[in-house]
Amino acid sequence: MLIKPSMNILVVESDIGIMQTCRELLLDEGHRIRTAESVEEALGIIQKHPADVDIMLLSLEFPGRGGRALIETLQRARPEILIMGMSADCGEEALEAMRAGAYDCIRKSFTPDRFWMKLNRAIEAFRLRRQLGVLTRQRQASLSTIRHDHNLLAIIQSITDGVVVTDWQTNIVLFNEKAARLFDLTEEKSIGHPVSMCLASDELLSFFMRAIKSDPSLATLMAGEEPIVKVRDKTLRVHLDSVTSETGTVIGAVAVFHDVSKVKAMDKLRSDFLSMVSHELKAPLSSLLMQISVILDGLAGELTEKQRDLLSKAKEKTKGMITLVNDLLDYRRVEEGKSIQKIESLDLGEILDRTAELMRLSAEEKEIKVTCDTSHDLPSFSGDRGGIEAIFVNLISNAIKYTPKGGNVQVSLHKAGKDIRFKVVDDGIGIPKEDVGRIFEKFYRIKTEQTKSISGSGLGLSIVKGIVEAHNGSIHVESEVGKGTTAIVSLPVEE
Amino acid sequence: MKKVLLVDDDVDFCEAVQLLLEAKGYQVVLAHNGKEGLDQARAEKPGLVILDVMMPELNGYDACVVMKADETLKKIPVILLTAVDQSVFKTTYTPHMGLMTEADDYIAKPVEPEELVKRVENFLGKGS
Repeated sequence: MLIKPSMNILVVESDIGIMQTCRELLLDEGHRIRTAESVEEALGIIQKHPADVDIMLLSLEFPGRGGRALIETLQRARPEILIMGMSADCGEEALEAMRAGAYDCIRKSFTPDRFWMKLNRAIEAFRLRRQLGVLTRQRQASLSTIRHDHNLLAIIQSITDGVVVTDWQTNIVLFNEKAARLFDLTEEKSIGHPVSMCLASDELLSFFMRAIKSDPSLATLMAGEEPIVKVRDKTLRVHLDSVTSETGTVIGAVAVFHDVSKVKAMDKLRSDFLSMVSHELKAPLSSLLMQISVILDGLAGELTEKQRDLLSKAKEKTKGMITLVNDLLDYRRVEEGKSIQKIESLDLGEILDRTAELMRLSAEEKEIKVTCDTSHDLPSFSGDRGGIEAIFVNLISNAIKYTPKGGNVQVSLHKAGKDIRFKVVDDGIGIPKEDVGRIFEKFYRIKTEQTKSISGSGLGLSIVKGIVEAHNGSIHVESEVGKGTTAIVSLPVEE
Repeated sequence: MKKVLLVDDDVDFCEAVQLLLEAKGYQVVLAHNGKEGLDQARAEKPGLVILDVMMPELNGYDACVVMKADETLKKIPVILLTAVDQSVFKTTYTPHMGLMTEADDYIAKPVEPEELVKRVENFLGKGS
């Protein structure tokens, strides 16, 4: 025989007949029962024997707000007590009682079957609620006790990063000194309070929520470059993870805040410095180039062959330096994420034509044949004009630079699926296998007998890669030494 | 003789450009900041103004805006010249910059002499 757990049931009813029926039914099933004939009496019993009331059968027909008031009081003071209303027809008063917190309502004209159907459901609900309560208390207890572990506290205090721990309901259970300073946390204001009230950042709150739900997207996010969050004047790198108990239940979340404000400030300083230096270099270099050119043109008097020769070399060197400074400036922009400055609708074919036109002079000097093949039905492309120009200029000038006299450079621009594909093929010196993987690194230049006379900063391709990626595109380079190099840029066209 | 006003605070650059343009048959007047440039524009009535952007006193953008708002000066074409902003493409005319200042053309420094002469010829025709 199934042993049913016996319940402590309080029956609050002024009608002696109904009271008697309830008592008999309940005692028959082995439940313990107390009775009260008024609301006041019922309250007295609950105060006197707080642990002895699990379920209350409450008549909803006491005069005035009697029954309703009792339900409201108990909801606040003893929410674990499950209340079952009783009334003649379970009408409006039953709805009100349930709104106030009663579990259900029984008609006083019940048959025993009907009585038990309703009551057994109530007993089941009570037990489930109690189990949930136990689990909840366990979960809370498991993290709130860490505040009493002094060694653990000492360790967490000594961590230089900010640490904030919450329970599974995102209430703060622990934080260290650094976190207190970052977020202005105090014991009174913060412990036991929701993290949403204390950290005031929707982004951070969403991280906590996702940690507690063990949202896999959070793990992915944290495994990559950890997110940066601005809190007042501080820039913080955040790492968040769930705290899991031995049984595998998520019992909370832990956040670590690394203050990167200083690093960011240094980055800005470095970048400003680079920018200043570049501009300060560019102005005098412009003068120098103009002065040398004017002398070379014979505008400052006749030149001997030797003078002309030396000055031509000086002019080349000056131009090399200008390119280098331009690369540095460009690189700074890419690093700062400024490579996309303004998105506009572009006709890539037209931009390529103009770029190729500009490169013609340097190609002709080396007797290199540049052919341009552009589809006429290219869709318009949304991107940054300066960035796209930089891609074309860098890749075509590289091809010309690393192709010996009399060689060929083929440039094409076509639609390929959802991408626009820009391709530069040369029959130049090629790139050794071991270097192909490194050509996108900053300042990386391949040092061989053939390249040592070619000037460059080693920044061009890393700039191109930065810009291509900022447009959600990709770049791919294939090469064979002595045969030539192919560079393919794919830029996705937005629907 | 066709007259060009060159406004640039870099004296060496001015000297070289002056040599270049004079050799091509233009008369060249110089100024070394935006304020001086405006005074010279009013006094000399040049056929073209080449205006550097980064200058003390009054910068080139602002000088250009003043010129284009001035009834007596607004017809004179202006070429803006700068080492700032444009580093990739030396002949790109940046439309939003033109709209902002109503400049007629835009050259990025450093510029090749032939290129500069070509741009001047676009506005004034060949020098005499």
